[in-house]
Amino acid sequence: MIERTDMTDSTEQRRIVAAEDFRDDDGVRLVISTCPACGSRWFPPRTVCARCAHDGTGTTLSGRTGTAYASTVVRVGPRGFPAPYVLSYVDIDGVRVLAHTDGTAALPPDAPVELTSGPIGRDGDTELWSYRVRRVAEGAR
Amino acid sequence: MNPVLLCGAAVAPFGKHRDRTAADLGAQAVGALLRDTGLPPDAVEAGFVGSVYGGSLIAQRVLQRVGISGPPVFTVENACASGGSAVHLAWQAVASGTYDCVAVVGVENLSAFGGGTLPLTTADVEIDQGMVMPAAYAMRAQRYLYESGATVTDLSRVSVKNRGNGAANPRAHFRQPVTLDEVATSRPVADPLRLLHCCPNSDGAAAVLLCSAPFAAELGTPSATIRASVVRSGRFHTSHRDMTWPDITERAASAAYAMAGLGPADLDVVELHDAFAIAELLHAEALGLAARHTAHKAVTNGEFDRDGRVAVSPSGGLLSRGHPVGATGVSQLAEVYWQLTGAAGPLQVAGASVALTHTTGGGIYGVDNGACSVHILAAED
Repeated sequence: MIERTDMTDSTEQRRIVAAEDFRDDDGVRLVISTCPACGSRWFPPRTVCARCAHDGTGTTLSGRTGTAYASTVVRVGPRGFPAPYVLSYVDIDGVRVLAHTDGTAALPPDAPVELTSGPIGRDGDTELWSYRVRRVAEGAR
Repeated sequence: MNPVLLCGAAVAPFGKHRDRTAADLGAQAVGALLRDTGLPPDAVEAGFVGSVYGGSLIAQRVLQRVGISGPPVFTVENACASGGSAVHLAWQAVASGTYDCVAVVGVENLSAFGGGTLPLTTADVEIDQGMVMPAAYAMRAQRYLYESGATVTDLSRVSVKNRGNGAANPRAHFRQPVTLDEVATSRPVADPLRLLHCCPNSDGAAAVLLCSAPFAAELGTPSATIRASVVRSGRFHTSHRDMTWPDITERAASAAYAMAGLGPADLDVVELHDAFAIAELLHAEALGLAARHTAHKAVTNGEFDRDGRVAVSPSGGLLSRGHPVGATGVSQLAEVYWQLTGAAGPLQVAGASVALTHTTGGGIYGVDNGACSVHILAAED
């Protein structure tokens, strides 16, 4: 896990989870690796293609929207993730990503979603922050 | 390859053993194996011990307690498929002619971790986002229900069947049958899964003995033939994945059916990896026991009952027997050994002559499961 520690407005510590794996300056977008040799796409990004072992992958940014594949409300979570919380598998621009999800109910399969960012958990006094997804209305994309 | 026979089996019953170590449980199982088969420990030429959380040299720490000390022994880790993987390596060793008599043990003590979901590997992108195993299976379940038209009650029927089977198994962690209503009102874990859709974290151990045909003839214990032994790893990618079709199971099973010269219609008994109720449906379909999206109907129709078309988890499965992760695959071999030698007592499937065991080990991102083992065994003529 690559981490970056910022100070929030309330001077509470905030740690960015997977900080190198997404951008948050023009809407939230994922950093995706693309292989020039075999065309594979990877998230989180990696320098060596895990399909053909080419060692010169390129980088691209995802769009801001995707589709939920499946979703659940976790009622018994691990340390640092106070339950309940919603997790979803989402397909975005050729990659599958697991993300915390806004709301209190599981997303229906195939629901359109958009990337956002926000708190996902807590490590003592430190807020954990990362990419998230939320449902968007049909036709809003 | 030389024929490989399963010539003995023993377990340290699954449950909560907070005051015992994994090594102690393992030694109980392999000690019982030696006594039951009448085999002196120095006749064992090699040992393979499957364990996930047993720590360094758990193979030595188990086997040296019962006098298996000096020959090559190996600790095998492949998550929940550790035990099945240990059996596979022992099978290789005998099939190749390297050894004639190899002991396999699976051991685990999960009570050491306290309650809740199991600790998963660190430095994994999904675990950093709050992933737990029940959530992964919950999402598989949600998608399966969406695609197949099955209901949560269909999932509950798997729990009711397997808990009912396990009620007659003295080696099972849970020996009380449950009702559909009890499953439906048990504590929610990860929607749509409730507590009684999930297997328990258990402590326990199991041991089996693999022998060449000449050694088995001399030993003279009841035996079954291992017709196929296959392990596969997950295919890693981070693009779209069909999570209702565990391709690792299909790949391992196809190879096993080809090796055995048998197909799913030949099976009388299947012990598969029902870590969660949904897993029985997904793996039953990938093993070819039911057409895609129809395994829930097979459960409802009683086709997977002990006296059904094919008995699926007549031992109670992981849902009832419990899941001491490294021990599970070996205990499946033990359960089908007793089935195929007519020694399964109240669990006996009438006329059982061909059995399949299946474990999958998961818990890392980018694969549907990290490892899968499939074994096919046949009764002696």
